[in-house]
Amino acid sequence: MKENVFIIHRSEIIRKGLALILQEYFKMEITQLNSAKDLSSFAGISNSTTILILEAGVEQNTKAIEQLQKNNDVFLVGFFSETINESAGVQYDYHLTQYSSAIQIQKLIQVIRQAGSKQKNHLLENGELTSREKDVIKLIALGLANKEIADKLFISIHTVISHRKNITEKLGIKSISGLTVYAIMNNLLDIQDINPEELI
Amino acid sequence: MELFSQEDKMSSLISRNYTLLPVINRFGIRLGFKEKTIAEVCRENDINTDFFLAIVNTYTDENYFPEAELLSFSPVLLIDYLKNTHRYYIEYVLPKIEQLLNQVLLSCKDNCSSLKMISTFYQKYKAELLLHLQLEDEKVFPYIIDLYKHKKLNTNGSSIEVIENEHTNVEVKLSDLKSLIIRHMPPNYDDNTMNEFLTALFQFENDLNDHARIEDHILITQVLEFEKELRK
Ligand SMILES: [Fe+2]
Ligand SMILES: [Fe+2]
Repeated sequence: MKENVFIIHRSEIIRKGLALILQEYFKMEITQLNSAKDLSSFAGISNSTTILILEAGVEQNTKAIEQLQKNNDVFLVGFFSETINESAGVQYDYHLTQYSSAIQIQKLIQVIRQAGSKQKNHLLENGELTSREKDVIKLIALGLANKEIADKLFISIHTVISHRKNITEKLGIKSISGLTVYAIMNNLLDIQDINPEELI
Repeated sequence: MELFSQEDKMSSLISRNYTLLPVINRFGIRLGFKEKTIAEVCRENDINTDFFLAIVNTYTDENYFPEAELLSFSPVLLIDYLKNTHRYYIEYVLPKIEQLLNQVLLSCKDNCSSLKMISTFYQKYKAELLLHLQLEDEKVFPYIIDLYKHKKLNTNGSSIEVIENEHTNVEVKLSDLKSLIIRHMPPNYDDNTMNEFLTALFQFENDLNDHARIEDHILITQVLEFEKELRK
């Protein structure tokens, strides 16, 4: 899943310093904003792990945060100046202060990343197509629709669709003509008499 | 990444993100800015600064989505920019990519059938993209310009939702093209030439994605709002 990291703080020194410490250790894109208001411009993000490092003790853009929480895994990190005192407002998942060490800051990100990946830890296969998937890709290349493929292979449309999904995931190819190129390149079609370029 | 603001130096904009070079050119801005700020350069070139910032920030951060109050500029301005971009694609980027692809083909000594298929696939992609651009230039943009000029809905009830076509298909094909080359094709070509071709594809993909984002998120959103108001 994609990851977005935001640092929202009025102090440029803190924004840049924090970003520097994080980027020393992790390869990540960090969006730095100097006012909570600007977060609204990013509220459309979806399907990502979003880490928000927020200046604590100031008014938060709760509307944008709630919007983000609807469509993403959001982790809220409160950045306090001296001591952590959660009195009112946003409930932070994690805390930092301006005296946190680089190690502490980096550990925190590791913890968040682990928490984020726990739910979606699915096995990746070796990426080879199964023989059934090869049957399906052959018929896709010949221009057959899902229904026709289902009839030919005596399987349900539902199964065809799930095969297609797996093929696309394994190969990184989605379009019909792209899959056709793949099938021809790998000699999955026996087409002596057709000009392969006409199929694409 | 920090958002660009109007007090930033124009030169720092390019140092921070050099892929903005063609973008500023589309505004008619050229290099040699000395110490001028974004606001100053915009003023000199008669460009709406808010508009300029919305474009370069969308371009730089894919998650950025300018807020309504920032969208104070007219869609007609936006269309000018988008049309310029189309022209840049058709007259400069696509011919250049094709030239590079031809060089890759020439660098192949034997077993070049896979490469030839890649080339056919590219042609198919290009045709689809050109059709998309044409539809926007000839149908979508004129519809919007008309709508803002007459401030009246079409009597036949057509709206922007019906006219604007999706970006998914062209985006998928470009990504497939890259995938086929990077993951699946036997490397029967000169590496440096192929790298140049791929680099151009990546850059083009970036540019196109941004372009589509501006159309979907800024232009179409604005027009939908406007249509809703007119319907009242
Ligand atoms: Fe366009
Ligand atoms: Fe478009």
